[in-house]
Amino acid sequence: MRFWCGLALLAAVGVVQAADGEYLLNAAGCVTCHTAESGPPLAGGRAFTTPYGTFFSPNITPDRDTGIGTWSRTQFIAALKHGTAPDGAAYYPVFPYASYRRMSDQDAAAIYTYLQSTEPRRRPNLEHDLPWWLGRWMMKPWQWWMLDPIEPTPGTNDPTIERGRYLVDALGHCGECHTPRDWAGVMLRQSHYLAGSKQGPDGEAVPNITTDRSNGIGKWDADDLQYFLETGALPNGDYAGGLMTDVIDNSTSKLTAADRKAMAAYLKSVPAVATP
Amino acid sequence: MKTGVIGIATLLSLASLACADEPENFIKYRQSMMAAIGGHNGSASQILRGRVTPPGHLAMHANALRDLAADLAALFPEGSDFGETKAKAEIWSDWAGFEKAAGDAKTATAAFAEAVAGGDAGNIETAFKQVGEACKGCHKTYREKDD
Repeated sequence: MRFWCGLALLAAVGVVQAADGEYLLNAAGCVTCHTAESGPPLAGGRAFTTPYGTFFSPNITPDRDTGIGTWSRTQFIAALKHGTAPDGAAYYPVFPYASYRRMSDQDAAAIYTYLQSTEPRRRPNLEHDLPWWLGRWMMKPWQWWMLDPIEPTPGTNDPTIERGRYLVDALGHCGECHTPRDWAGVMLRQSHYLAGSKQGPDGEAVPNITTDRSNGIGKWDADDLQYFLETGALPNGDYAGGLMTDVIDNSTSKLTAADRKAMAAYLKSVPAVATP
Repeated sequence: MKTGVIGIATLLSLASLACADEPENFIKYRQSMMAAIGGHNGSASQILRGRVTPPGHLAMHANALRDLAADLAALFPEGSDFGETKAKAEIWSDWAGFEKAAGDAKTATAAFAEAVAGGDAGNIETAFKQVGEACKGCHKTYREKDD
């Protein structure tokens, strides 16, 4: 009797964690990058044209041959948070581990549990199309050299703003596109955090989302921001385009109103910086 | 003398006809139409979010959206794909897909106007979301991103 109760409890915990995992997966935007245009969800193959070549996202369904079906929880967390593949190689930073490393191990583990519960899809990964001089072996030194220790958070004592910071920085990885990068592809977090980039995904410019009043979103109020994250509608009645449409549809529209409110509150607290 | 005046008048009117539908002019016209749609959409969203309550205005915006979006595909004639436009080449290379997306805007705005006329708050909210989906859906594929 006690055994069966224990088993039922374990199963219930698993279901709850998988449900949490789905929410976190949406917040972390996994679906957008790991799904090819009209391809099966999470089976990879979306192309990213960058100044360093064209990258193709891999399959993260639990398929044992082409996906992550054989990965352990520890291997998954190492990949997500530290950019280290199960074979020890380092991932290119187009995979946003520079942001995901701010995620808690618990949230990363919940995403792992959810992913392993999704439908396995067989879809072999595509080779990245990169210039001759760029090799994966260069990424280990890059990680060692370029990934500064995570700066201590200034730490406001407002839990809403801190939740927003976590959603924007760790899960939503907004800065990966909205913060410009230096010559080595490192985000200029200290000087130009969220100040917009001329070289976003697919060569498109990405807007400034600091509180700068002329270049950024300084004229939006928190309610405008929340409404934008929910619907994609800008205060002038126009709509977001390009990749941001996917971010709205796959991520921010699926969050709770409280989380969108937290993101808006945090973004309103980001200092104004002019677009570089 | 009389013939001269008529001749000049004819020439002038022919000339004005000839440049009336110049692609450059059409692009400007289309952008103004889109700005009008955005204006009504933004105003409607302010009302539906409860931030302002101008009496009777919601129906005005809903009807204007319906009329403005009745035939958006007609704003993109062949040859209007150059210069200062964010219209992507895909509009003309995938005309059937574009016409469908423009048709979605027509359906969605007509349903929104009808919902506003009906007065049910739930229907209005759902219909307005569909308008947003139609705008986003088309812009995603057929409009270049802002900088």
